[in-house]
Amino acid sequence: MVRLDRIGKRYGRGPWVLRDVTLVVEPGEPVVVTGGNGTGKSTLLRIAAGLSRPSAGRVTRPRSVGYLPERFPTGVKLPARDYLRLLAGVRGVAARWDLVEALGFVGDPDAPMATLSKGNTQKIALAQALTATDLLVLDEPWSGLDAAAGAVLVDLVAASGCAVLVTDHHGHDLPGARRVPLGAGPGGVVVELDRVGEALARIAALDGVRDARAVGGGARVEVEPGHSDRLLAEALRLGCSVRSVRS
Amino acid sequence: MSYLVRYLLADVLRGQRFLPPLLVYGAVLAMFNAGDAGPPLSAYAGSCAFLYPAAVWLTVVIATSEDPVRRAVTVVAAGGWGRAQAAVTLLSCLAVTAVALAAAVVPPLVQPRPYPVAVVVLGFAALLVCGLTGVGVGVLCARPVITRHGWSALTAAALAVAAFLFGQVPPIGNVLGALGREHDLVPNLVVSGVCAVVLLVASTVVSRTLGPRRD
Repeated sequence: MVRLDRIGKRYGRGPWVLRDVTLVVEPGEPVVVTGGNGTGKSTLLRIAAGLSRPSAGRVTRPRSVGYLPERFPTGVKLPARDYLRLLAGVRGVAARWDLVEALGFVGDPDAPMATLSKGNTQKIALAQALTATDLLVLDEPWSGLDAAAGAVLVDLVAASGCAVLVTDHHGHDLPGARRVPLGAGPGGVVVELDRVGEALARIAALDGVRDARAVGGGARVEVEPGHSDRLLAEALRLGCSVRSVRS
Repeated sequence: MSYLVRYLLADVLRGQRFLPPLLVYGAVLAMFNAGDAGPPLSAYAGSCAFLYPAAVWLTVVIATSEDPVRRAVTVVAAGGWGRAQAAVTLLSCLAVTAVALAAAVVPPLVQPRPYPVAVVVLGFAALLVCGLTGVGVGVLCARPVITRHGWSALTAAALAVAAFLFGQVPPIGNVLGALGREHDLVPNLVVSGVCAVVLLVASTVVSRTLGPRRD
């Protein structure tokens, strides 16, 4: 199980890439993170995998984690078979060439991976991640796969018994999956306020407010676009301070 | 950890970026030993001085052999930045130890003067101290501490030169000075050896701390 507790991420003093995300992923209920470009999906996955340290919040994760990056690099000189054997050794498990075969790998396993097609490289990268035993963190796992391999991947993920966290742009169906949208919904406006205090309940009750949550000393309010001006005016009238407005 | 080191070694050997530092250092060794290199112990001073920048270069090559994305996969498989960065330091130390060993046995094989075993052992120790210092500096010049190639090269060059600017101070200057004088080498080696180990540990801790923050 992986637990992300109110995590946020920013680089230096830059803008927040992720803010106040709470998420629990347990075995048997895959979580699909959705959202437009730049909403922080990959960043969330890198934090869950233990690559990136959140700037705020806490993460608890199991020991054995498998990570599939969004784009596995193309110029790798190691052959596929050596790569999988050595990385399985790093994890302390046996190499699983059967996973590669199940995904329908075509190519020379003893030639440099740079000579493989994108789809076949993706299959090697997936087989590497699927040898983990506790948590799978897969960033766009269907990218580059043909339909048959995509279906096999769904079965392999379900059979792994791991907690599963994936991103997906194309609406692939993982049985029993929970979808978690990141960022504002389509067309929504996110307003961050300071000095909210008692006014939070009144702001939450305004027309068009989708979500209003206390964050630190302030609040994060998501509102329908047509109601954002009225919300800002009301927030200022109530004595709140506007920290940011994003759409 | 042994698989992690083996994986990195296999990857480094498949790339060819490890060749330039080794070829340059080989050429320097050949140059020093082409004629009479001088009295046995002080003959090691030149190869020690050049092993330091060669070790920095070789360590940067080992630390950046994987591109950042594949590095991310390895870090997760290894169970975190700490183990992944420790493997970089360990493999660099092993590689530099092999180079130091080669540089220690070349003069007794090709020089006309007699080289007693004690002198070769001291020469190897001096080479090792200079090489391991280079590994510590190299880790600080490579990803994830410095992420851009240009800054990495500039910092490595600046730190390589800096070790020679301040005269006979540890960990490099005092060893070269003691080799030249053929006097007080052992105490200077002990001081510099401790400095090199502290630098190795500190640079590895810095890299494992900065890795998850930069990512």
